Amino acid sequence: MPELRKDPLVGRWVIISTERAKRPDEFLDLETPEQEPPQEDCPFCEGHEAKTSPEIRAIRPAGSRPNSPGWNVRVVPSIAPVLRIEGDLKQEKQGIYEITSGIGAHEIVIESPSHVSSLTDLPETQIRQIINVYIERITDLEKDPRFRYVLLFKNHGQAAGEGQFRHCRSQLIALPINPIRVREELRGARAYFEMKERCVLCDMLRQEFDSQERIAAETPYFVALTPFASRFPFELWILPKLHAADFTTLSPEHRDDLARMMKTAFSKLSKVLNDPPLNYIIHTAPFRRPVKPGYWRTVDEDFHWHIEIMPRLTRVAGFEWGSGFYINPFTPEEAAHFLREAKETVAVHPSAGLA
Amino acid sequence: MAEIRMDSAVYRWVIVSTDNPMSPADFEPEPRKKGTDSCPFCPGSEQMTPPEIAAVRPKGGQANDPSWSLRIFPNRFPALRIEGDLDRTGAGIYDLMNGVGAHEVIVETPDHSKDLADLQPEQMELLMRAFQERSIDLRKDKRFKYLLIFKNHGASAGASLSHSHCQLIALPIVPKRVMEEIRGADRYYEQNQRCVFCEMIRQETSERSRVVLETPEILCFAPFASRFPFELWLIPKKHAADFAASPPKLLKETGEALRQVLIRIKEVLRNPSYNFMIHTSPLAATPPEGYHWHIELMPRLTRVAGFEWGSGFYVNPTPPEVAAKYLRGEK
Repeated sequence: MPELRKDPLVGRWVIISTERAKRPDEFLDLETPEQEPPQEDCPFCEGHEAKTSPEIRAIRPAGSRPNSPGWNVRVVPSIAPVLRIEGDLKQEKQGIYEITSGIGAHEIVIESPSHVSSLTDLPETQIRQIINVYIERITDLEKDPRFRYVLLFKNHGQAAGEGQFRHCRSQLIALPINPIRVREELRGARAYFEMKERCVLCDMLRQEFDSQERIAAETPYFVALTPFASRFPFELWILPKLHAADFTTLSPEHRDDLARMMKTAFSKLSKVLNDPPLNYIIHTAPFRRPVKPGYWRTVDEDFHWHIEIMPRLTRVAGFEWGSGFYINPFTPEEAAHFLREAKETVAVHPSAGLA
Repeated sequence: MAEIRMDSAVYRWVIVSTDNPMSPADFEPEPRKKGTDSCPFCPGSEQMTPPEIAAVRPKGGQANDPSWSLRIFPNRFPALRIEGDLDRTGAGIYDLMNGVGAHEVIVETPDHSKDLADLQPEQMELLMRAFQERSIDLRKDKRFKYLLIFKNHGASAGASLSHSHCQLIALPIVPKRVMEEIRGADRYYEQNQRCVFCEMIRQETSERSRVVLETPEILCFAPFASRFPFELWLIPKKHAADFAASPPKLLKETGEALRQVLIRIKEVLRNPSYNFMIHTSPLAATPPEGYHWHIELMPRLTRVAGFEWGSGFYVNPTPPEVAAKYLRGEK
């Protein structure tokens, strides 16, 4: 019998349809990716700095000049930004409709100087630097009073929206309004907190540690689990074990541990699903600006930041679009089992070495 | 400069790229395979599907014989099961219930080679009537709160079989997207004592820039805050909350308007994959006052990626004004 499960954070129902269950390897032939263009055209590779817009930030251990080789992580503006950085924030009404000017920042975080496609192939030390850059960029963009939120995300593989070049990178978009998915989570967390004076995700973690059946991996400070109401097969969340609302306030020790956890989680997914296309997003607390009295007043206590990883193994079709209801053909308990059993590969891509 | 537009009904924001709008030629046509070997939806293969629930047989004939022109049967791989009770339970912090529901397939034509856009007007009318009849029948089952009728056309839209068909799923709860629309419409109604969709229709018919076609009873337009390039809505001009309560004339016109629009989409966008779905009021006895049923049609031309999943914010590379122009046949 299929089950309808409700997500405790946002109240979203999901159909866990066990009768359509597939084995992990049955998801793999979803789509044949297009041929990648020759690597010498890749704008993200070291030595090709002129092919991107001038860099915003780069980690250059030997202090090389901006926009030259010699970097570990490099941030550039998107060449096809969905929002523009210049201009004032204006709101306008047209009859019953509302428009806000498309102000925002859209940046690309290039996660390796060499042409490596997956985070799995990067050493922990490199992932640690990537985390530093994520935090720096969010903290820097917070200074711009026009922005309320920065969404950090990755599109890995063509089915997940990655472009032609398979060079490991993430993106961030700074937005003048809090996006609806984040608001839903913030509201859900606040409503729970008002009722119980506890964080909903801390409560969830307590229950998950008791039952263990959805835990995929653990490090000293982090846990990776397949959520009870997973929307997608092998959906995986990484959460700090201790309550924390804001990703940007991570201590150095926790950053080290997060790098370890990310390496573990992505390696496990890659192992079980053979380097699947995936998206991940970081849901952290919004910028707490005094826009109006009481604006997200309890967010530090009620919200719990996390990373949502969504392998793109099934197609979202008419039913999901029309209903906002997801049909997941794979139970999260089984997914967690496969991920727990997977021995992550420790081999590091030969060309991913660091200076 | 891109624009951030808000959907007035559901508080959904969309980024519309107005700088370099993508035109139909910018979207790669999707290869279409119409394999014919052992299609379970073709006449003569009736035993490959579960026994039919209903069918139209103009020349008469027995149930499950090949003489049909439209046929409805349970999905062989249902997302939800018809048997059983809901058994709502809690498990600590979590809530769950049994996946009880109905999942049916409506094969619109015996002709394997035809798309919905190729059907005769009479066949479209039959389809609309089938939607209505299934809806009236399924609401007798008190376990169900909502009926979603939808179509997946083409592989990118999630169609796993190429023989043209629609599906319906009866659900034990009102789904989130619909709930958001109903809440948004309720809010607007409380503030203004008017239906937000009726207001939209008034504004669209007077501005005209987003209107694709209009018949005496139906308006088809590209919504102001379109999430997807060439997204279209078909809506009855006269206020009506419940699709299933449509009089025959409105049903017929809906089918015809949908057919016209599908023909244009097929031509202008070179037979793209698409989804459509009917958003109507929940199955409860009294429909919400401020709600207004409509069909949402979404060609699948772009991929939804990390940003959309993480934010619920859509990025639309073709402003609806541009899309409407192409679909009206202007260049």
